[in-house]
Amino acid sequence: MLTTITLILAALVLSLLAVAMGWVLGWANKAFYVEVDPKVASVNAALPGANCGGCGYVGCMEYAEAVAAGEADITLCGPGGASCVEQMGAIMGKEVGETFPYRAVIHCAANRDARLQLMPYTGEPTCAAANLVAGVQGCTYGCLGLGDCATACTYAAIDIKNGLAVINYDKCVGCKACAVVCPRNIITMVPFRQERMLVVACCNQDAGNDVKAVCKVGCIGCKACTRNSPLFHMEGNAPVIDYDHYTPEVSFDMVLSKCPMESLIFVGKPSPKDLAKTEGEHVPERIEADFKTTVDETEWRG
Amino acid sequence: METVSALVLIFLSAAIINNFVLYYFVGICPFLGVSRKIGMAFGMGLAVTFVISIAAFLSWAFTFYILRAGAPIPTQVWALLGGDPETTVDLSVLSYIIYIFVIASSVQFVEMYVRKFFPALYKSFGVFLPLITTNCAILFACLEILKHLQDPMNLWGLHEALALAIGGGIGFTIAISLMAGLREELDMCDVPKALRGTGIALLVAGILAMAFMGFTGVDKGLANALAMLSN
Repeated sequence: MLTTITLILAALVLSLLAVAMGWVLGWANKAFYVEVDPKVASVNAALPGANCGGCGYVGCMEYAEAVAAGEADITLCGPGGASCVEQMGAIMGKEVGETFPYRAVIHCAANRDARLQLMPYTGEPTCAAANLVAGVQGCTYGCLGLGDCATACTYAAIDIKNGLAVINYDKCVGCKACAVVCPRNIITMVPFRQERMLVVACCNQDAGNDVKAVCKVGCIGCKACTRNSPLFHMEGNAPVIDYDHYTPEVSFDMVLSKCPMESLIFVGKPSPKDLAKTEGEHVPERIEADFKTTVDETEWRG
Repeated sequence: METVSALVLIFLSAAIINNFVLYYFVGICPFLGVSRKIGMAFGMGLAVTFVISIAAFLSWAFTFYILRAGAPIPTQVWALLGGDPETTVDLSVLSYIIYIFVIASSVQFVEMYVRKFFPALYKSFGVFLPLITTNCAILFACLEILKHLQDPMNLWGLHEALALAIGGGIGFTIAISLMAGLREELDMCDVPKALRGTGIALLVAGILAMAFMGFTGVDKGLANALAMLSN
C-alpha cells in the first residue's frame, strides 16, 4: 500500500517538476537570448571543418570567430584552398587577390641508396628519437626516413619510399602538420602557383667536400644556380628559391642544365615529357581505399 | 543569540574547518581543472558559490515540503486523493534525481544569465560552467541538507541550509584560489620532468589538504566555548 502511494506521488512530483523547470528554462532562453554574429556561422560553414590547426587557431570555429571579428586574415586556411577563401571573402566583403594553395615540400632527395655513412639504427623507430643519436647517417641535415611526418599526416599524403619521405600532392592539403613534427625542419610550405614546382631538394649547409662524403645527390653549394637565375639566392651553403617571383613564364632550363648534382627537382604533377617517357612502362593501377562499413551503407567519416 | 552562533558555526565549519574540497574531497574536478590562473579560479569559485546557494535554497524547499518523511505537501495530496491522512509518506527515494535535476536546471539558468550579462566571464569559463552540473560539491551540500532534514530532533531551517551552502561555496573559493596561487608559483619552479602538470598539482593539493587537517576539531572546540559563554 505504502509503495503504491510513493509510486503515485513520485510520478506526480517528477512530472510537475519537469514541467515547471522546462517552463522556467524556456522563459530564460528567450529573456537572456544573445545575438550571435551570423557571419561566424557562415564563415564556419565555408571552412572545411577539418580542425587541423594549420591556421594557428585551435579549431575551425575559433578561426571563424577571428575572421568574423576582423582579427584574422581570410587566406590562412590551407585545406580550404581558393574556393574557401573566395567564399569567406564574399561573406566578409573583402577583395580577394590571387591566392595559391600552400603545399609541403621536402628539402631532401636522398633515398637510402644515395645516403652514405649509414649505421644500423635499432632504437625507437621515430625520427625524433633517431635525431638525438649521432651517427645514424652521415648527413646531419637530411631526411631520416623513419616517418614521423607520415604518422603526423592525417590525409595519408606522405609515403616513405626507400628511406625517404615523398609527398603525394593529390592528397596533400597543406595543413603543416608534417612541417611541425619534422625534427630536422626540412619540410617547408611552398605556394603552388603551378601544379609543378621547382624545389631545392637539399638543405645541407656544409662545404662541398663534406656533402660529397655523406651524400651522392646533395647540393655542394657551387652557386651555379644563383648565377643563372635571379630567383635563386644562397642561404648559408644551400640555395633558396624566391617563390614570390616564381611565375609560369620563368624558364629553369638553364639552371637545371648547370646544376652538377640532383639537387633541383620538380615536384607536383608530372610534365607531359615525363609522362611520355614512362608511356610504355607498366604502371600498376592505383587502388583506392573503399570506405564502406559492414554495419550499414551510411557515409563513413571516421 | 543561540541561533546566530549556531549559524556562524555551520558557516565556519563548511568554509574552513571541514572544507568541502580539502576535508571531504568533493568538487576536485574544477579544483584541478580551473586552478591555473587566480582570476579564473576566483571567478569559478564565485560561480560555484552562486549555484550552490540557489541549489541549496531549492533543495531545502523541495526536501522540507516534498521529499522528507512526513512532508506536508505529499501527505495533503494523498489525503485529497482519498487516502488515509495518517499515513507517513516518504518520498526521500527521489532525493538524488531531484537534486541532480535542480542542480542541472539552475546551472543551465546561470549559464544563460552569465552569457547574457558577463560575456567575458562566459568565455573564460569555457567548458567548466556546464561542468558545475556534475560538481559533486553541490550535490554534497544538498545531501548534507537532506541528512539534517531527516533528523526530527535537529531540523534545519532555510537559514541553516543557506549558511552551509554559502559557507561551502566560500570555502571552495578559498581552496581553489589558494591552489591557483600555488600553481602560479609552481610555473616558475624547476619541477622534475616526470611530475610536471597534473602530477605536481595533485601533490600540492594533498599537502594543502594536510595543512587544512590542522583545523580538525576546531568546530567542536568552538561549540564548547560558545556554550560556556552563553551559560
